[in-house]
Amino acid sequence: MIKIRDLEKIYRTEEVETVALNKISIDVKEGEFVAIMGPSGCGKSTLLNILGLLDDPDTGSFLFNNIEVANFNERKRAELRKHNIGFVFQSFNLIDELTVFENVELPLIYTGVKSVDRKKRVEEVLDKMQIMHRRNHYPQQLSGGQQQRVAVARAVVNNPKLILADEPTGNLDSSNGNEVMTLLTDLNEQGTTIIMVTHSEHDARYSHRIIRMLDGQTVLENIMV
Amino acid sequence: MFKNYLKTAWRSIVRNKAFSLINITGLSIGIAASMLLFIVVQYELSYDTFQPDYDRIHRVVTQDKFDKDITYNSGIPVAALEALRAEFPNIQFGALRSIYGSQVTVPSAGNETGNKFIQETGIFFLEPQLFNVFQYNWLAGGPTSLNDPNNVVLDEKTAGKYFGSWQQAMGKTITLDNAIPLKVNGILKNVPANSDLPLEVLISYKTLKQHGPSYNHNENWNSTSSNYNIFALLPPQAKTASINNALLRFSNKQYESRGRNSIKTHFLQPLGMVHFDRRFESFGDHVTSKTTLVTLSLIGLFIILMACVNFINLSTALSVNRSREVGIRKVLGSNRGQLFTQIMSETAVIVGISVIVALGIGYLSLPYIKHIASIQEPLSLFTPKILGMIAGIGIGVTLLAGLYPSFVMSKFNPINALKNKMVSASVRGVSLRRSLVIMQFTISQVLIIATAVAVSQMNYISKADLGFNKESVLVLSGNGDSTFRSKQTAFKQQLMQAPGVQSVSFTSDVPSSGNVWATNFAYNNQPDEKFQVTLKFADVDYIKTFGLQLLAGRNLTESDTTKEAILNETLLKKLGIKNANDVIGKTIRLGQGQSYPIVGVLKDFKTNSLREEIKPLMISTRRSFYSLTAIKLRTHQLAQTQAAVQKIWDRFYPEYAYTASYFDEDIAEFYQQEEQLSLLYKIFAGLAIFISCLGLYGLVSFMAVQKTKEVGIRKVLGASVSSLLQLFSKEFTVLIIISFFIAGPVAWYLMHSWLKNFVYRAPLSGWFFISAIVGSILIAWITVGYKAIRAALANPVKALRSE
Ligand SMILES: Nc1ncnc2c1ncn2[C@@H]1O[C@H](COP(=O)(O)OP(=O)(O)OP(=O)(O)O)[C@@H](O)[C@H]1O
Ligand SMILES: [Mg+2]
Repeated sequence: MIKIRDLEKIYRTEEVETVALNKISIDVKEGEFVAIMGPSGCGKSTLLNILGLLDDPDTGSFLFNNIEVANFNERKRAELRKHNIGFVFQSFNLIDELTVFENVELPLIYTGVKSVDRKKRVEEVLDKMQIMHRRNHYPQQLSGGQQQRVAVARAVVNNPKLILADEPTGNLDSSNGNEVMTLLTDLNEQGTTIIMVTHSEHDARYSHRIIRMLDGQTVLENIMV
Repeated sequence: MFKNYLKTAWRSIVRNKAFSLINITGLSIGIAASMLLFIVVQYELSYDTFQPDYDRIHRVVTQDKFDKDITYNSGIPVAALEALRAEFPNIQFGALRSIYGSQVTVPSAGNETGNKFIQETGIFFLEPQLFNVFQYNWLAGGPTSLNDPNNVVLDEKTAGKYFGSWQQAMGKTITLDNAIPLKVNGILKNVPANSDLPLEVLISYKTLKQHGPSYNHNENWNSTSSNYNIFALLPPQAKTASINNALLRFSNKQYESRGRNSIKTHFLQPLGMVHFDRRFESFGDHVTSKTTLVTLSLIGLFIILMACVNFINLSTALSVNRSREVGIRKVLGSNRGQLFTQIMSETAVIVGISVIVALGIGYLSLPYIKHIASIQEPLSLFTPKILGMIAGIGIGVTLLAGLYPSFVMSKFNPINALKNKMVSASVRGVSLRRSLVIMQFTISQVLIIATAVAVSQMNYISKADLGFNKESVLVLSGNGDSTFRSKQTAFKQQLMQAPGVQSVSFTSDVPSSGNVWATNFAYNNQPDEKFQVTLKFADVDYIKTFGLQLLAGRNLTESDTTKEAILNETLLKKLGIKNANDVIGKTIRLGQGQSYPIVGVLKDFKTNSLREEIKPLMISTRRSFYSLTAIKLRTHQLAQTQAAVQKIWDRFYPEYAYTASYFDEDIAEFYQQEEQLSLLYKIFAGLAIFISCLGLYGLVSFMAVQKTKEVGIRKVLGASVSSLLQLFSKEFTVLIIISFFIAGPVAWYLMHSWLKNFVYRAPLSGWFFISAIVGSILIAWITVGYKAIRAALANPVKALRSE
């Protein structure tokens, strides 16, 4: 599903050049659950942003479902992204002005789903995430774990083939964290590909494979059994 | 999708209550203000546009070129009418003469002397041919109703005023100035108020021919009165320029043969300019220059601009806070277009609310604006035209205020947006915000300076030494007919016996008035001078009553006819005479008439409004011209004295309506338009300042939130409150000073040109400029101060924890 080769991303400011990704190459197959680990600043988030088509690499090749997307412009990336990729963030990133229901509904609006179908689909997902009873609440009225469940619901509502999660449990206590990990595992078992950045060895054990990074390069891959 | 936009828009308005409130307040005041100004401007522009042949109607006016100056007159010699008809058979001409302050007596069952009405305006002698030029609606009769002498046509409301209803008025007889019976022969539907021909009482022109002398109606080529106008309807597709050429040849032919000391020419003034060319008079109550209308429109536009600037500033400032939302939406698949539309819809919602509030404000303040702008017409906000205009303003403001913020926000990079790293975008925003604040303060300061200058000029005028006494002089207007004159001497004796009366004078004109009565003259048996002399006729008590000052010679001696003359200084100056005593004993001859000995010279006083130079003047006696009674009252017990005066009047002149006014109030009316303008400036300068402070307050509040942490850290490191205040106010102070350097010259230029309207003007003092800048800095500091002090006094630990 994902095949990147010699991908390079360099941040240039006036004084310094930071090589965030240094000719990195990675493959992820459909249905895999991959964890990315590494020390702070090694380029994990940068990699995830590129995989999520939020950012473009400087050089290298990025095949997404066998299509070269490294040179896509913003409009094309947005188009591909909204149909194929869901995101879960450490800081939940829900929109404060919208209710739980409306937050989850948002991706469907952007992909142009009709209102009746949206309602059905959102309720289905909220039900599955066991957050249905909070559908009319605003994000601030929810606990961190509940907020992250809403974020996961929002990430999957479009039935994406790929979910990218950047430290999804980083702001959660262990029991809420485990709950989110279980949700992700369930999704993966139903066929969704998942790539997750984490600092927690515990969480990483939910995955099939751990990619360890250092200074913008992969240093090690552990296959879990 | 659109419903979703509106929903989020509404939520974000509610969430940012303070900013929304600032935006809505500013925008609604701005929209209301410009809406009202546009209504006023629109109303002025609509004058006489209801005439179907508006574009083809012209007035034939007069330009008189003397040695040094050119005078303009909206009138034309009466004799020109038939000559024009002979020369231009394709053009329809129609003439009318307006008379002012005439009395109409309406028979009444209970009242022997009838009900008396003074028609200050709206009363005309009018040719039936005028209805070939102008179209009106008739309730009874028609243009032919004015074919015969002693016929009158009334408009519906005047007929109602006289007789209760127009149906009852038809066929009745009324009396003009106690002398001329007139049969009501037709009724005109009320002429709209936005007309410079306020037709109310229309008397057949043939009546005027029979009573010419009573109404100064000379059918010759020599005298031109602005009360006598000729209007022309040009054939379709006629070229104004070629007709004007023909008129020039016509004028030369007519006047060359008659010998002349000036070059008099006639030309066409389009009906579309009658209301706007202040060189000429109109029969309406005011002529407004297009410059004034442009100024008002610009002020309206500026006020809206300022409100939009607030919106842009606050939105771009707030966008930093909203970047996370924008980022999330982008990650979830929103494209730029959708985000752009979303933020535009938020703007549209705020503007929509503001428009509704503005309509409310406009509805409540319309009566005041109508009053200030002296609009009589019942104006409504809810006409299709005005509603259309408001919708236009709404759309314009939405685009103006929304485009930039929408553009900036929709361009946010999602990754940076999610990290709240909007550094590059906000740096750009800051310099834009600075320029916009400069623009706002430039506009406010121009308005402050303009207001200060206008107010000081108005004060100057009201305090200016006019050279005569205008306080507690009561002026009674009557008319100069023989019955009136025959009782004058006895009337005066009675008045002088009233305890509060100091002196009484009969005259043709008060010292300073809008009247112009001028004629050719010759001094000391020399050939005619190349300028005209203004005439006022008055009895021997004129000098005493108005406190005028003799420089040389003596007062006139009492006489019913013209025997002697008194001149003013300006006349001597124009004649090139230095010593006033030199003219005593010399003679002056008016027109082609008799010569009179000069017995005195008066110190100059202002013969007209301060817009005009003092005119060369001659005063002499002549009872047949006395229509005014000027009474100087002792200042105590004015009300009793006035009642006593009225009682005496009613005893002497039961058939004449009593109309009195105080001279100083009449003089104040000269400057009514300027007063109104200066009031408008005051109001709108106030609004402009308010709106810019509102914006400043918003920006500072935002800054205070942004800088909470910085202020906290600085305080922990030992910064004093005053140094923190500086942190907030320094930038704005610099911006205000920069705007002053733009505003100062602009205001100077504008007000310099405005003051040129006045011959006598207050100096353009540097204090206006200094107070503008000091004032704006103070206002800004007060605005900034409150927020800044709160931020500076906040507990630093709390501030730091909030991160
Ligand atoms: N916008 C940017 N401009 C400049 N440098 C950046 C930018 N974003 C990231 N970097 C740099 O790129 C490198 C990789 O950053 P990245 O955010 O990918 O690290 P990370 O592995 O996700 O770290 P963490 O575990 O702390 O989240 C870091 O050295 C960072 O300083
Ligand atoms: Mg990271």
